[in-house]
Amino acid sequence: MINFFSLEAFKLRHKLRAWLGPLLIMILVLIAFPLSIDISQYDLNKFYFSVIVVSLLMISFLATESIFSEDYEDGSLEQIHLEEKDFYKITLAKILVHVFFIGIPMALIGSIFSFANGVSFAEVPKIFVILSISTLILFNVFAFGSALSINKGSMLGVVASLPLALPAIVLLGRGVRTVQYGQGFFEVSVFMAGVALIVTALMPVIISATLKTHLE
Amino acid sequence: MQLVTANNLGYSINEKRLFHNLSFSLNSGSGLHIKGGNGSGKSTLLRIVLGLTSPSKGGVEYCKPNLQVSYLGHKNAIKHYLTPMQNLELIFRSSALQNAMKWMNTLGLNKVQDELTANLSFGQQKKLALIRIFASESDLIILDEPFVGLDNSSRDLLNEFLQKKLASDTSLILTSHIEPNILCSELVLSGDTDD
Amino acid sequence: MLTSFIHRFSSPKSFVEVTALFFPYVMFLGFSCLALGWIWGLAFAPEDAIQGNSYRIIFLHVPASIMAQLIYFFMSICALMHLVWRVKLAAYLIKSAAPVGVLITFIALFSGSIWGIPTWGTWWQWDARITSTLILFIMYLGIITLHSSFSNAEKADRLMSILVVVGVVNIPIIKKSVDWWSTLHQPASISISDGASIDPSMLYPLTISILGMALTMIALGILVSKLYILTREKNKKWVQAYV
Repeated sequence: MINFFSLEAFKLRHKLRAWLGPLLIMILVLIAFPLSIDISQYDLNKFYFSVIVVSLLMISFLATESIFSEDYEDGSLEQIHLEEKDFYKITLAKILVHVFFIGIPMALIGSIFSFANGVSFAEVPKIFVILSISTLILFNVFAFGSALSINKGSMLGVVASLPLALPAIVLLGRGVRTVQYGQGFFEVSVFMAGVALIVTALMPVIISATLKTHLE
Repeated sequence: MQLVTANNLGYSINEKRLFHNLSFSLNSGSGLHIKGGNGSGKSTLLRIVLGLTSPSKGGVEYCKPNLQVSYLGHKNAIKHYLTPMQNLELIFRSSALQNAMKWMNTLGLNKVQDELTANLSFGQQKKLALIRIFASESDLIILDEPFVGLDNSSRDLLNEFLQKKLASDTSLILTSHIEPNILCSELVLSGDTDD
Repeated sequence: MLTSFIHRFSSPKSFVEVTALFFPYVMFLGFSCLALGWIWGLAFAPEDAIQGNSYRIIFLHVPASIMAQLIYFFMSICALMHLVWRVKLAAYLIKSAAPVGVLITFIALFSGSIWGIPTWGTWWQWDARITSTLILFIMYLGIITLHSSFSNAEKADRLMSILVVVGVVNIPIIKKSVDWWSTLHQPASISISDGASIDPSMLYPLTISILGMALTMIALGILVSKLYILTREKNKKWVQAYV
């Protein structure tokens, strides 16, 4: 399993565009929002979280768009299947490596920008925790969409996985509200962590079945 | 010793039959050359033997437990954004990497080992992909059009390698429009699409 | 033994032959119940104490909402049958049920919007029930789009089944949304555990409308699935003899 992590990390490190691109787009969106709207600082504090949440959704999709299509198109998936007989380990490794290289930095960027828009310094770690857990859930969901729509275009992946991502966004919004109003952060974040663990355990199984179907 | 047995294999796609009632067996140290026209199902048959594709009817039995299989299909399974050296590091564990690097030198790829694979020619990429076969210890080698893109010296090298492998009890199944220079039995697929 | 039983009674040919026998009755009964329920509800049921006559859209909206969820639930059972036992008919039924699901979910959303104007003063509100029903609508579209994207029909069937099974997690969210979140949408009028919260003079036409809608959707589903089965199996001898 460790071998899979190191191999996937090796590959992703060498694909600068794949991990740096989504992060730069997120920064662009977070900067562009306050520039594009004539809004008071007070109101910006209230709305800014929505921008972070929506940008997290979009960038999570972008980051996982070709998570499996590259291996499918160059034949690596077949070689993996010959060695491992299923794709559980490689899928889990890919998702976790993507979360580590892209998701956690996204959560960090979101936390920094929330601090720049009025959130107190003491609340920033809480924002970071909520956003990190959310990226884990969203990356799993969008990885499933990518697996379903391998080589059929990203729009199909969006249509397939968006209905699963929207409940995750509702949960994220609830988590953000606990930070805004200072109530129930521990309970909501534990609940979110539980959901994230379940999704992270189950989704690779589902994705593995999906990838096997594509190979047939 | 019998290695692989295929019993009454049939395959259909979208209700159209590609082949049916196909049976063959392969012993250790023997080769099978699958021939047929375009679209007759050669690559599909290889994928069924590998277990990548499920047949519509029949099945494939491996007579040896933990059979080690090396496979190279139409796709090379190499990363274009990595160098040949990096690709080998991705494919091989450290114990086999030395052997893989020897083959890289033998195939003349050491001169381009630090260039991006995307910048190599088709033939050079094919040779890089073939190192997966050359440097692996396996009981069964399965190749889909391995000679395509290779220059004459590389073709001779591959033929020699396959002949040596057959002599050392490794089995071989391949499809090729280019006639291989090795002793093996033939299976011809006619491309059956009747109900 | 279970596997052979399932395969014996789930051949597309048997389905087409058996459903041809009772399709006209189901359709007639469905239309009759709908007509009875709607005429009773629209013309004879009393006005609501608070909403007046605007509540009467309940006789379309509630049956449509119930069917929208039930059709997806049916699809998820078929998806499990297809994935576990490789029953071809199950995949055909999913593919046929999805457009029916799209239609009925759209009717549910549209009728709900119409009801929202006099009741809430808005035709749309981003509350839990309405949003989750919209998600269900998108899910149906996603399933249809996914299946249509693949030229290999067997592969498309399996991928569609996987998506349906994964998406079933949304059904309890939709069902329980009015209980879990404080929503604008009213709680269920009819509940298995708590009974009905509306007067019998409204409950009876509503129940008949729900039954009529269910039978009509079954009839529509049989029609669509028959057409689809004949298309998919067109190379088989029994289809060529049938047509």
